[in-house]
Amino acid sequence: MIERDDHQLRKGFEALRREDAACTPPFEATAAAARARQATVPRHRALTLAAAAAVVAVVVVSIWRERDGVRLQIDLATVRWHAPTDFLLKLPGDELLRSVPQLGSRGLDRRTL
Amino acid sequence: MAADLTAELEQLHAAAFGWALSCCGWDRTAAEDVLQASYLKLLDGRARFDGRSSFRTFVLGVIARTAREARRRSALRRWLPLASVVLGPEAEDGRPDPATALTRADDTTRLVRALERLSARQRQVLHLVFYEDLTIAEAAAVAGISLGTARTHYERGKAALRKLLEKEQE
Repeated sequence: MIERDDHQLRKGFEALRREDAACTPPFEATAAAARARQATVPRHRALTLAAAAAVVAVVVVSIWRERDGVRLQIDLATVRWHAPTDFLLKLPGDELLRSVPQLGSRGLDRRTL
Repeated sequence: MAADLTAELEQLHAAAFGWALSCCGWDRTAAEDVLQASYLKLLDGRARFDGRSSFRTFVLGVIARTAREARRRSALRRWLPLASVVLGPEAEDGRPDPATALTRADDTTRLVRALERLSARQRQVLHLVFYEDLTIAEAAAVAGISLGTARTHYERGKAALRKLLEKEQE
């Protein structure tokens, strides 16, 4: 039973092979097309290589700059940002909180006592 | 040397095209593209025959790998639109070629339809054994799987194919 089934499958595949053979493109045409692709493949390869080289160059330059301490200097004083509502945080006499009172001096403000 | 290689490829051409068709889901354009890419690999020496298997098995293996690469590239193109700039234009749409399907007899159309419903591995192993007349061991080498796995795919594939063909006939 199984052998008969195998025989039927084999016959089916043989028919498929015959039909495929009838529509197979000529070998010469396929080989010529393959050789013609040889000219276009290096272009794709060159593009891939160029992209990879650009990435490597960026990485190498950034590592080199990091190692040599060449860094972009940012002046923090110039970029300090003040919110428009900063004035709300100002308390009367808040300068006293930022300075240390001197004990024994006469000039102590009454507010510190 | 190159002439010998060309002559050997010419002898295998029909079998190679049939295998490429099977690897590309019977899409003729995609199969021709895969076959050209495979021949290019063989002719420019990127795929070199080292005599560990028969030349036929080696060539069919190269075609299977090239078809896998083409499928991967196609998937990449779908996910990364810019990939087509580097990978080049797409040749396949993954569907059976309508012109080829029209020229088929009813029995072979049924067989192709049933094969399409099998798993890729089962289809590959059955195609290699019944269409390409390879042994299961040679089919395993072409598909890049172990002999035991190929045997399992062969037996299960045959059983599934018989059932599908019976259903198609009803």
